[in-house]
Amino acid sequence: MTDATAAKSGVRKVEGAPLLELDDVKMHFRIKGDGILALGNKWVQAVDGVSLTLQPGETLGLVGESGCGKSTTARLITRLLEPTGGQIRFQGVDIAHMNERQLRPYRREIQLIFQDPYSSLNPRHTVGTIVGTALRTHDMVPKSGELKRVQELLEMVGLNPEHYNRYPHEFSGGQRQRIGIARALAARPKVIVADEPVSALDVSIQAQVMNLLENLRKELGIAFVFIAHDLGVVRHFCDRVAVMYLGRVVEEGPRDELYEKPNHPYTQALLSAVPDIGVVRGVPPKNRIRLVGDVPSPVDPPSGCRFRTRCWKAEEICATQDPALLEHTEKLHTACHFAAPPTESIVAETV
Amino acid sequence: MEPLIDDPALTGKPLSSEPATPSKTSPNTAKGKSPTRIALSRLRRDKVAMVSLGVFLLFVFIAIFAPLLAKLEGQDPTTLNIDLIDRNGYPLIGITGDHWFGIEPRLGRDLFARWVYGARPSLIVAGLVTVITTIVGVTVGLIAGFAGGWVDRVLSWIIDFILSLPYLLFAIAVPAVLLTIFVGTAENADAQQVAQVRFFSLILVLSIFGWASLARLIRGEVLSLREREFVQAARVLGVPTHKVLFKELLPNLVGPIIVSASIALPTYVVTEAGLTFLGVGLVEPTPSWGLTISTAVTFYRAHPIFLWVPVIGITILVLALSLLGDAIRDAFDPRTRR
Repeated sequence: MTDATAAKSGVRKVEGAPLLELDDVKMHFRIKGDGILALGNKWVQAVDGVSLTLQPGETLGLVGESGCGKSTTARLITRLLEPTGGQIRFQGVDIAHMNERQLRPYRREIQLIFQDPYSSLNPRHTVGTIVGTALRTHDMVPKSGELKRVQELLEMVGLNPEHYNRYPHEFSGGQRQRIGIARALAARPKVIVADEPVSALDVSIQAQVMNLLENLRKELGIAFVFIAHDLGVVRHFCDRVAVMYLGRVVEEGPRDELYEKPNHPYTQALLSAVPDIGVVRGVPPKNRIRLVGDVPSPVDPPSGCRFRTRCWKAEEICATQDPALLEHTEKLHTACHFAAPPTESIVAETV
Repeated sequence: MEPLIDDPALTGKPLSSEPATPSKTSPNTAKGKSPTRIALSRLRRDKVAMVSLGVFLLFVFIAIFAPLLAKLEGQDPTTLNIDLIDRNGYPLIGITGDHWFGIEPRLGRDLFARWVYGARPSLIVAGLVTVITTIVGVTVGLIAGFAGGWVDRVLSWIIDFILSLPYLLFAIAVPAVLLTIFVGTAENADAQQVAQVRFFSLILVLSIFGWASLARLIRGEVLSLREREFVQAARVLGVPTHKVLFKELLPNLVGPIIVSASIALPTYVVTEAGLTFLGVGLVEPTPSWGLTISTAVTFYRAHPIFLWVPVIGITILVLALSLLGDAIRDAFDPRTRR
């Protein structure tokens, strides 16, 4: 993009600021209580104080079990939700509480790829209309050039450009996901948030879509926030990984450090749960950490460290003091009072 | 059932940002079918639906060309043929070349002319009310469902309020009230003016009571649609709200809207005739099937054709519209097909 269009688009920029920065972002949803006058209102702390940074062209993986706030974080970054606290800075500008009109130029810069390719495409629009939405909304190309650009985008994601006139129901799941990717690319974003983009696809198609995303990242230099619960996919795709538990980031750092020497007990447990292909070849199975109990309710999270109710290292201090996300070993930030690398190898071989 | 497109070299296709070169040789092969067009082609294959549509169009044709048809017969709906009536008010003739359906007892007006003109108020009232209730219902339903919050609560409350009002009571009371407002007391009223006020008050009453159920239906649809991810995708792209409503959501509501309109149309034909029969709908001198039926009841013994002509007219029209409505519903929702 040239400077002229950047200036016209109305996106402000603070020099030296990271591309995207989440600073103590909180999203508390209200649930209606039983009492009259909403006296019994409770708050679901879906995301509670998440801080992340993303540099241009970088991929950040976001992992964690179901209900830990990954998707809510995605919807906060793309501003489908307005956070109840904290700042979301894009190129240094806080977009957390902008109204729709102020937000409009920023909408182009941050795009979202959805999990379910069956509900993310409007069944009544042709593929050309769907992919061209960004072009029309932001007047990115003249009307006459729209078709050409749409076909260019379809080709870019590996679809037949002649199929712009077809409807989503005529495509398979993998192809639909490609259409969703083309729609996001049309806006020429700097950040793409991918909310479990492959978990609804079958395994062979997953690999194809992952390769497509990988190629796009290399060629277009787009930064990704990649949300998944498949740890293998994240390791394959991401430069840095953040592990979430119950609305908080418990550990964050470069991929290799995090996968090989995780300091947080939860990360260790998570990684030890990855199926190990070595067993098939006769290698003795890894020592698997089995967590007991359920994830506590985000309505009423435990005091202090949120993981303490299931942690084998928990002591009194964990209940009283909330551990901060601190750098323990080389670039690896961990929120734990007893952060230490695992005593034995728990990580499965990379496939 | 639905054809899937061949995967175009999904494996290892090199990424290219060069402009595509569309082959202009076969532009038609890639043309897809929208869900609405699939439903319509399904409808076109339905024989009952096509016959019903033909019957409905025939009635529309009769209503539009009523003056022409009456002229073809050589009569008009208001001339009193006193000479063809005996002293007790009974007609002296049956079906003749001059009067195809005979004449009315007492006043001696031509029945065929009154029958063809009678199709007009039925179709105009039913059509107008359907259009008005559909537009109002869809707009209110869209706004209530999409806006949520207090807007939804207020609109839902209004919908519930209207649905809880005693419909028949209002249908009887409102025309009378409007009559006193616009025409004054009944003694000095001009018949033409009274007929006009009655006509519009009928449309008004039916419209006021008709939109609420559709609005509720659309609201429910929107509530489920707005959670679909394509709506969020549009919002992430920065599509303005009115475009999300009318470009993203409305096309997905075409099915329920067409179905509800096609089912509403025959009920309004019946309602118009029913209210007119009860004496609270249209009044003389407007030629209306409901009015004809209401007068004909007293003469049924001596002059049955007087009653049968409008009854058969309404029955055929409503039957055709109902069958068409059912067929449209089946076409748009294949799961309910028999």
